[in-house]
Amino acid sequence: MGVKVQVTRPTKMELTRLKRRLKLATRIQKIVKDRLSILVMEFMQTVRECASIKESLLDEFAEAYKGLSLSTGYHGYMNLEQELMVSEKDIRINAGTRNVAGVRMPIFEIEKSESLQAKSRPMIDTSSILDRSIELSQKCLETLIQLAELQNSLDLLGTEINKVKRVNNALEFIVIPGIDATIKYLTMKFEERDREEVARLKYVKQLIEKKEAYAF
Amino acid sequence: MPSDKESDGFMSDYLKGELRTLNAQLPRRQKSLGALRKEEHPHVDCNDGSPHYFKKDEIEYLAEILDENEQSSLLLPIILEIKSDETGIIIRSKEGIEAKIFTKILGMEVSCRDDTVRIFKPQLGIIRKTLKTTTQYVFL
Repeated sequence: MGVKVQVTRPTKMELTRLKRRLKLATRIQKIVKDRLSILVMEFMQTVRECASIKESLLDEFAEAYKGLSLSTGYHGYMNLEQELMVSEKDIRINAGTRNVAGVRMPIFEIEKSESLQAKSRPMIDTSSILDRSIELSQKCLETLIQLAELQNSLDLLGTEINKVKRVNNALEFIVIPGIDATIKYLTMKFEERDREEVARLKYVKQLIEKKEAYAF
Repeated sequence: MPSDKESDGFMSDYLKGELRTLNAQLPRRQKSLGALRKEEHPHVDCNDGSPHYFKKDEIEYLAEILDENEQSSLLLPIILEIKSDETGIIIRSKEGIEAKIFTKILGMEVSCRDDTVRIFKPQLGIIRKTLKTTTQYVFL
C-alpha cells in the first residue's frame, strides 16, 4: 500500500508538530490494540458460553417435551389445557445494561419471586408428572433468557470488534506510516537544505577569496 | 487537503473520544458489597451517566466467600487495570480481599503485594467468566 507524504509547509515547526502527532497516534494505537484484544477475549468467551447454553437448552427442551407429552397422556389434552390456563402466571424480567470496554451489553434476570415458584394450581386433578413438566418448562425459560442475553451481547461485541479493527488498521497502515514518511521526507529536505547551505557558503567563501586575490 | 491544525485537532479529538469511550464504563463511585446486597436492583452509575447493573447471583457468590467485615470493605465493581506496556493485569487492593476472591475462583494462591494483586491474561478469562458484572476494565 502506498504511503502519502502530506506536507503543507516544509518548516521545522511542522516537523515538531508531526513528531508530536506521531507520538499521539502511537499512543492511540496502543489503546485501540488493548481494547481490541479484550473485546476479542470477551467475544470468544461469549461464543463458548453461547454454544454450551444452546446445547443444554436443546436437552432441556427435549426433556420438557417428553414431560409434556407424558402429562398429556396422563391427564388428556383438554384437562391439561384447562389446568394450565388456570395456573398461568406473569413473569418479571429485570433488564439492565453492563459496560464492557465501551460496549453496552444487556443483562436479563428473571425475578425469582414466590409467585413464579409457588404452585397456584388447584391440587385436585394434578399429578407429579404435571409438576415435573412445569418445572422443566420453567427451566427452559430461564435458559432461553440467558441465551437471549448472550446472543445479543455477541452481536454487539462483533459489531464493535469490526469497528475497532477498522480503526486499528487505519492507524497501523495509513496514519502512522503516513506521518512517519512525512517526517522522513522533511528530515531529508532539511538535511538537503543544510548541505546546500554549506555548499553555498563554501562557494561564497571561494568568491571572496578570489576577489581578495584579484584585489592584490 | 486538510490543514495541519485541523489534522492535529482531529487526532487529539479522536484520542479524547477513545479515552472517553473506554472510561465511560468506570463508576463514578464504587459501592460496598454489603450496601449492594441491600439494594433491590444493585447498580452503580458510570462516568457517562448510564447505570451498570450487577447480577444478584454474582453478588451472592461474593457474599458467600467473604465475611461481614470484608463485605463492607469490598468495593464493587473491582477495577482491572490493563496497561499496554505490561503483560499482567493489576488490581489495586488495600486489604487483600480481592486476592482472597481470586484465590477462590482460580483455585490457586493469589498474593497481594504492595496493595497490588497481579494476575495474567489467561487467568483474566476465568475471572471474567465468574465475575462478569462485578469487574470492570480500565485502560491506562
